[in-house]
Amino acid sequence: MKAIEVNALNFVYKGRTRKALDGLDFEQEQGEMVVLMGHTGAGKSTFSRCLNGLIPHFHKGNYSGEIRILGNPIMDKRVHDLVDQIGLVFQDFESQLFSTNVELEVAFGPENLCLPREEISERIDDALQLVRLKGFQRREPASLSGGEKQRLAIASILAIRPKIVVMDEPTTDLDPQGKLEIFSVARLLRSEGYTILFIEHEAEAAMEADKIVIMDEGKVVREGKPCELLKDSQLLENHGIRPPQIAELLEEINEPTIPITMEETLKVFEQRDWKISDENYMALLKKDEQRQKGYGKKIIEVKDLEYVYPGNIKALDSISLEIREGEFLAIIGQNGSGKTTLAKHFNGLLKPSKGEVRIAGEDTKRKQVSELGKIVGYVFQNPDHQIFADTVEDEVAFGPRNLGIPRDKISLFVEDALKEVGLEGYERYDPFSLTKGERQRVAVASILAVRPRVVILDEPTTGLDYREQKSIMELLQNLNRKGHTIIIITHSLWVVAEYAKRVLVLHKGKILLDDQTRKVFSQEEKLDQSFLRLPEIIRLSNRMGRTLLSLDEFKHCLKR
Amino acid sequence: MFIYLDKESLLHRLHPVTKIAGLILLFIWAMVFNHPLYICIVFLMVFFLSILARSLSNLKKFWITLIILAFFSTLLWSFFLRGPTQLFKLGFIQISKESLLYGLAMGIRIDTMIVSGIIFLSTTRTEDFTQGLSSLGLPFPVSFALSLSFRLVPTFAATTSTIVQAQKSRGLDLESGGLWTRIRKHIPLLIPILIYAIRNTDLLAMALESKGFGFKKRRTYYLRFRSTWRDWLSLTILAGLIGFCFYLRLNGHGVIFHRI
Repeated sequence: MKAIEVNALNFVYKGRTRKALDGLDFEQEQGEMVVLMGHTGAGKSTFSRCLNGLIPHFHKGNYSGEIRILGNPIMDKRVHDLVDQIGLVFQDFESQLFSTNVELEVAFGPENLCLPREEISERIDDALQLVRLKGFQRREPASLSGGEKQRLAIASILAIRPKIVVMDEPTTDLDPQGKLEIFSVARLLRSEGYTILFIEHEAEAAMEADKIVIMDEGKVVREGKPCELLKDSQLLENHGIRPPQIAELLEEINEPTIPITMEETLKVFEQRDWKISDENYMALLKKDEQRQKGYGKKIIEVKDLEYVYPGNIKALDSISLEIREGEFLAIIGQNGSGKTTLAKHFNGLLKPSKGEVRIAGEDTKRKQVSELGKIVGYVFQNPDHQIFADTVEDEVAFGPRNLGIPRDKISLFVEDALKEVGLEGYERYDPFSLTKGERQRVAVASILAVRPRVVILDEPTTGLDYREQKSIMELLQNLNRKGHTIIIITHSLWVVAEYAKRVLVLHKGKILLDDQTRKVFSQEEKLDQSFLRLPEIIRLSNRMGRTLLSLDEFKHCLKR
Repeated sequence: MFIYLDKESLLHRLHPVTKIAGLILLFIWAMVFNHPLYICIVFLMVFFLSILARSLSNLKKFWITLIILAFFSTLLWSFFLRGPTQLFKLGFIQISKESLLYGLAMGIRIDTMIVSGIIFLSTTRTEDFTQGLSSLGLPFPVSFALSLSFRLVPTFAATTSTIVQAQKSRGLDLESGGLWTRIRKHIPLLIPILIYAIRNTDLLAMALESKGFGFKKRRTYYLRFRSTWRDWLSLTILAGLIGFCFYLRLNGHGVIFHRI
């Protein structure tokens, strides 16, 4: 008996014309772990919601086809008839959690199943054990880290004891540490005999799957074993997935791509005498130094900054730094390390409790946010927290109008900003009809239209697929080359490695490291302590005694 | 962020229904007198309750708000009411001794009610509240929705504050302009907040359904409450005190104006 069997599934959301699912066929054996991949809009989430009946009972629309869960057709079953067979974990863990403490959160499902109290208690224990949250029973969900919250969300599903667990991008909003936690929970669940369907953008999760399935335009386009699919970097890139870098490197230098782990690769390098050329590496270092000399005047100066939130919580402590015009800086650190709090001081949204912040020489304490907004633009993480206008053009013109830019110049500024983000021709569009990636661009354009010298972006790549991530980062790189100072806050360390030239590592409100990206990323142990796990390819180069930041640098330096 | 304090106290141990009834009784108690001295005694009693409930740390967070509220209430009522003993007159503004006292009483009354509410929220989990409402006969989905709305206030407030900051960063200035302009300036806040609320509710509803919400008509509860002699005793004492205060008021004590 198959765990999941899907035949010719079609679905069109009510009020839309595009087929979200278009003749989808799918099969999964019991006890298998399948990783489902594909770019945004491929229909992955829609598919997962069909499996537990949210579609067509919660989201209405035009539905046809057949789904069998553990051998039984489910088309006429409601969501709650299926809960003990299939459990669904969502990406957004914040809005899934609603209880006062951890054990009550987990108890909610079993309570609905009308189980006796003793059994509920047993199930809470088991579920918390599986996600390694034992001892957290009385903690408030809001006080947990991102990874812990998502593990709690998983536990609250496990307590219902479904045979199949479907996870819809559970790691998207997590820091690298949180992602690892979820991957390890998934492994554990598989070894416990659960059937797991894991929707994920990252190839790392897929390595240990029994099968990878790639979706596009509402149907399955490829499936196969991880070792076959993960080395086909062209295929992966076409479907919004970042290829595993080590495999790609081996392919580039014509070595067999079977070793995917770092140890195996190091062995191959040794046997076949691949080395990092000193000469080429020195050239990279020289380029780093030269770049540093080319920066302009000080634009942001922070001296002994301390920030205390109401309730006496010290968020930032003795922070001092200078940022020069033309820099590309990344602020990294775990959730709660103070990244966003620090960045909000750069445009005056927050004022120091102690110490001072100067923007272009002016003390932020004496300036309004609206005055500083002309110098420093701030793009918030979620574009939907700021989009409100009927048209893209109005949305982008909002900033310039507020900040007193002369009327005759506004349309020119808006036009330029839209050109910059690649959205010319979208002026009359309704911003809400655009994809997340496009809305992110509208948000960037709406900041660029003021022509600030510094642009800050909080998590610019979260929730985007690889293609969209690359294109927004290339956009930032271009802006940087044209002279804008760029500051990003991010969890994505490959983004930092490939684009940022300087890295600021925060740990518990203090600066742990602040230096050129290469120098920071060479201190792997220190980063590990702060739970910032470097991308495989950089770890590989560190093992070889050098720090290479991208596939291109590696290709350039590897010689034999 | 949330008000509930996970502590052991006499009040924490009470049955949720007792707490709900107690809260209503405290509200009534605050309405009995309108003389500041008498209300002040009620206030002190409620304050004593908050010591029993070990919720002083929550009161500390709100004390500035409490003082501001009391102050403005005193000010407003002093202007609006007229009493026989005039203290001060300037044009059409006049303050009498009675209106000042009544204002002060109203200020303390509001504070008493807020402190009662804080005690309730500090000692009652949303789940207790849900269960309390259910055992009073409300259907589970209704009591769940009611108590959840309390739970969602802080999350909602946090998102609203992010949205305000995002728009401020784009130069939105809410402080200047006439009334109409100011109202219009809130549109860039309202739309993202509305969209957030709709999306969030949608997601939450899906998460609830996926956890078997509404699986059966009945459901069990992990938390178990039994009413004990403590519940009956506390309610009796409270009701007794209030009864006594009614008696005083009916005999003309603790009154400034003959109104609530």
